[in-house]
Amino acid sequence: MKCLLVTSESAEVLFYWTDPEFQLRVQEQYGAAREDGEAAPAFEDSLNTLFAPIIISCSTLVDRLGDSYTSFSTENKDTYVLHQFEECLYIAVNGDGEEDEDDLKRRIYVMKKMTDVLFGMVTLSSDLLKKELRPQDSEQRRALWRHLQGLLETYSRLREQDQSFLVEAVERLIHPTLCEQCIEFLERRLVAQLNSSTERQGEEVQHAFILVHTKLLAFYSSRNASTLSSSDLLTLMGMVLHLHPSSPDIDESSPEDVRDTTAGSDVFYTPEASPTHHHTESSRIETEAAPIFQFVDPDIQMAEDSLQTLQSCRPDPAQPIRVFLESTLKEGFYPMMPHSMYTLPLWPGITLVLLTKIPNSHVAMSIYHFLETVAKLEKRLNEGPEGAVSHRGHTPIQELRSKMDKFLRSLANTHIQTSQLQKVWAEFKARAFSRGGLSKELVPDCRRLRNALCVIFRQCFFLPENSSTHRLSPTLQERARTMVQDKLVDWKDFLLVKSKRNITMVSYLEEFPGLVHFIYVDRAAGQMIAPSLSMADRASAELGKGPLALYIKSKVWSLVGTARRYLQKGYTTVTQRDGDYYYCYFLWFENETGYKLEVVDIPTLPDDSAPIGMLAWDYYRKLLRYYSKSHSGEVVKCYELLTVHLGVIPSDYVLQHCSQLARKLWEPSRIPLL
Amino acid sequence: MKEHFLWALSCSVDIPDVSVCALLDQLISLFCFYNGPVRQSYLRHNRSDLARHWARYLTHLQGGSSELHHIFSCLRTIDSTNIDPLLLLKAALILQACQRCPLVLAGCILYRGRVVSTQMPPDLTVKVMVHETESYQQQDPRPVANGMNGVSGTPSSSTGATPVFLTPAELQALRCHPVDKKCRSHCAPQPPPRPRKSRLLSRTLSDTPPDELDIVNLDPAPTPSSCRSSLSDESCYSACLSSEATTPQLSPVHQSEISCPADAKSYDHGLSNGISACKLKEEVVMGKVANGCNKKMDIRTSQSETEARDAFILPNGNGCHANGHHLDQPGATDCLSDQSSCDEQSDSSCRRSLSNGAETPRKAVLPENGEMKRTKTSIGTGHVGDSEMPTHTKNGCRNGTEGLEERETKENGTGRRQDEREESSSPSSSSEEEALVPMALYQHRVRALVLALLVEPHFHTDQAAVEEVYHSSMASLNGLEAHLRTSTPGGPGPHGPYTFAHYDCIQNTLTSNLSGAPQERSFVRATALLHSNFSQTQTLQEAIVRNAGAAVYATRSTAQETYFLQHATAVRNSGIPNHQDSAFSLPSKARHRLLKHGVNLL
Repeated sequence: MKCLLVTSESAEVLFYWTDPEFQLRVQEQYGAAREDGEAAPAFEDSLNTLFAPIIISCSTLVDRLGDSYTSFSTENKDTYVLHQFEECLYIAVNGDGEEDEDDLKRRIYVMKKMTDVLFGMVTLSSDLLKKELRPQDSEQRRALWRHLQGLLETYSRLREQDQSFLVEAVERLIHPTLCEQCIEFLERRLVAQLNSSTERQGEEVQHAFILVHTKLLAFYSSRNASTLSSSDLLTLMGMVLHLHPSSPDIDESSPEDVRDTTAGSDVFYTPEASPTHHHTESSRIETEAAPIFQFVDPDIQMAEDSLQTLQSCRPDPAQPIRVFLESTLKEGFYPMMPHSMYTLPLWPGITLVLLTKIPNSHVAMSIYHFLETVAKLEKRLNEGPEGAVSHRGHTPIQELRSKMDKFLRSLANTHIQTSQLQKVWAEFKARAFSRGGLSKELVPDCRRLRNALCVIFRQCFFLPENSSTHRLSPTLQERARTMVQDKLVDWKDFLLVKSKRNITMVSYLEEFPGLVHFIYVDRAAGQMIAPSLSMADRASAELGKGPLALYIKSKVWSLVGTARRYLQKGYTTVTQRDGDYYYCYFLWFENETGYKLEVVDIPTLPDDSAPIGMLAWDYYRKLLRYYSKSHSGEVVKCYELLTVHLGVIPSDYVLQHCSQLARKLWEPSRIPLL
Repeated sequence: MKEHFLWALSCSVDIPDVSVCALLDQLISLFCFYNGPVRQSYLRHNRSDLARHWARYLTHLQGGSSELHHIFSCLRTIDSTNIDPLLLLKAALILQACQRCPLVLAGCILYRGRVVSTQMPPDLTVKVMVHETESYQQQDPRPVANGMNGVSGTPSSSTGATPVFLTPAELQALRCHPVDKKCRSHCAPQPPPRPRKSRLLSRTLSDTPPDELDIVNLDPAPTPSSCRSSLSDESCYSACLSSEATTPQLSPVHQSEISCPADAKSYDHGLSNGISACKLKEEVVMGKVANGCNKKMDIRTSQSETEARDAFILPNGNGCHANGHHLDQPGATDCLSDQSSCDEQSDSSCRRSLSNGAETPRKAVLPENGEMKRTKTSIGTGHVGDSEMPTHTKNGCRNGTEGLEERETKENGTGRRQDEREESSSPSSSSEEEALVPMALYQHRVRALVLALLVEPHFHTDQAAVEEVYHSSMASLNGLEAHLRTSTPGGPGPHGPYTFAHYDCIQNTLTSNLSGAPQERSFVRATALLHSNFSQTQTLQEAIVRNAGAAVYATRSTAQETYFLQHATAVRNSGIPNHQDSAFSLPSKARHRLLKHGVNLL
């Protein structure tokens, strides 16, 4: 009973995602009313009818009070969480009590993060984003929504199953020798070779990493590249896992078996027809997965079918995915720089990912710069007294003028259509540089200018369909793939098993009797270490199968939620005796050499603040920045440790364990990622 | 949405959702306690008056107590560590003594707006306290708020009573209270002698439940309706009968209005009525047994109908308020007790309703009632009719002989109810809303000390009962007041280098040494968080949370929650797990330190 809806202020559905139960409920509610033989209303219309009162009341409240509600729950225990980003209203609903407000809020922010990564600076213009999220062409719309829905589903599944997505930090395969070898291989052989190839058409590989299921085997960034933020890396991992669905439960068996179960597992996790689906492996899986729609509603089935045909008419599997990532360059911080992502599946469950910088990315920098300047100007025009505006705003305006003129001249030589921007810019100049131009009346012009800039951005960086320019050639991609395959072929089976049992509790039991589970997170690096908690049927986790293992898992999940709630209110240490278990949570700061820094009072956040984590809104980066203020000149690291002990262990021992564990785990996290 | 009304309450964001909902519920129930069902009070009273009432309840819920009290929404009690335990015992004894009067359900003793001793469940005590606090603040010996009447002719001016409304659940809880009935009957001061037959009359259902409901007490969830319906008619009536037969010397304390000129007449009525009621009951039981039906009483319906009747009477009440006769139109549960008070009635409204009943018995039976089981209400009606009206008596007799009384009484009941429905100007409202039972709140004030008793509605018309309660408690109250005045310095408990809060979930009381200093903010904040965590996770037993400045230890059992913070341990540490960290020595410190506050964490 879950739903996520994105609407405009005029209650137009920009995007929706529902699980089958919610869909069924809505259809029963609105489909049953029509007994006169009329066809049931389209699902989208039903959703619209259902949510219209909420959307209208929300926008009325904003109109009247300048404020709105962020969440409410109905008498039959449905929970609604609402959040408005610019002009788009996001509504998340849960009707089965499985998720609380925090989870719903998190889903909204994850959705926002995904649109940011997929649409880049277009998200800065609400008008454009609305068009982008709801393409006029219904086929296109269906395809896009299907894609986003799949991403959300993948995210939900990962959050429910995978500890790394639970705590929102990257989990690495712990095998130092192999990791090191792979990193070296990526650096010396793969990236070097790709970047020196003539077939790369101007693209430059900046990051390369190998994923084994949800775990990172090796990650390499070229020297001149900006670091990839944990938030982006997690989002990209989610996208890769969505494109190449692989359940970690499938690999204990023979390869034939693997294929069967892959198809089987798709039944539950909605197979994704995606642009890159037509590699040899996955297309076969797709055909095998035909019966998966058996318990899906006929309407959806139709949609899926048409999606399939749509997908199959996109013949280019080598087409990369355009993603917009944070970059910290020497010129400054740019939140949404265009990159191309190539996902090359090596074997089911193991994927090589290449991130390339595209040749004209400097244009994006300019556009971002203009957008920022105009947005600042607009804000000041809206706030400040007019006189002050004209004085203070003078210099940036002049600078904007010269830079924009130059920018337009430089674009004139390319194939980019700049007529709209030129027109808007001319109007803007005419008004802004006339007498008394810098007044509130300029605000609509600012808006138009921003829109025009976003249009240019879209033109430059959105991948046109079936375009073969600006990308690594298919042969080059194939070569990269075989190179890595050759390198890892002997390790393949080991890796698949290892990814499932990365760390086992057995190795800790002797040293820490009574310890049931732990999660250790290095927030500065965005990495985590935890014993595997596999709940799959075939996997014989140490906790065994059945209720006890499930109980521990559910407790770990709820403990993470509890710890976050306390952290939100400024508490960095929490211990709880709950039933037969003893839970601990610690957050602390260290400097680079491992010296423990003293605690400070960390800020208390209001209840409606963004969710704590790294994926959607990087709380820990802000926390580190906050802490660094009082420790200038020092590199500050932040760590978290969660433990579950048996309740019979005296708390003295528990705490001793915790401190020993923190010391012990500190070492593996030193393995260089780059 | 509750009871066809839309309720809205706005609070600051700090307060968790659960608490806001609880506060709203509390507010509504408080209003209903003093004013009866919401819809009816709005029909009866003028809006601005009610608005004042709302404001008063709201300020009461908000004001006065500390933030911690809001977190737990608990009672404020006398700090028991400061006063002689014997005084508490004495207070409890006073209450028990008052309970000997069968019309008294339960009571509490308050001193300066704090609870000294209470027999009522916590939520009810809170409601009672609103009134007390108010009158205490007014420093008025005879508070007149809310249609309250000083009982005229009572020997002291410091007593008073006000009508209140209890939910059936609350009433049930009070009646299920294991009061030793034997003690009641034996230890009660000798009542004035009464003719034997009137005693039969004065046996009320409210007397019998302690006995009967002992069985029910075993019922794990004695909700009012389930409790009632689980009680078969037989047990009810047979208990009635047997008590009439076997315990003739039961104290008929609440035969009322000694000085009433209609006294003799009432005895006469009592005589005939007693017989007929008796017979009727017997026949009822027989009829039912003969039918072999397992009767399930639709208590909800009957209660709502009672309420409807109430609603009808109150607006047209002809001074009902003043002499309290409307209270004689009881909740379904004490219908049988009506007779005694109805006997004396010369009240026109009562007459009218009764004559309605008498005139319309042969009106068409409501079709849906055809198979409906007879309810107590209808029986009660039948009695009243019998006792008051010759035609009715005849009616009853005929019924008796024909063995059809069940149907007839039902006809009576429904017919009458129908009439009332028709006459009632209030639109039909939900049964929940109307399921409130009118009772009365009796107060006896000795300076800052107040004895508050929840009594049957006709208590204060019952001179004997009033006097009994008054005299049995006056001396001890005076004594208690004097002791409390001298022994309560009023300051909070001894301060140490720590802050604690101890919440007793059963009694809903809070003990703490909070002084309200600003540095205690962090303690209060942590307590709020931990408390909501406790309420979310049932299995959670203890927890320690710390930030840079403070560490708070919390532990709970099924009966209590305790929060503890040690001051002056601001040893800077890194937050890394460290078993030497002072935060983790809190449990043992708390155990040690709180012993002297009477909190045992061992």
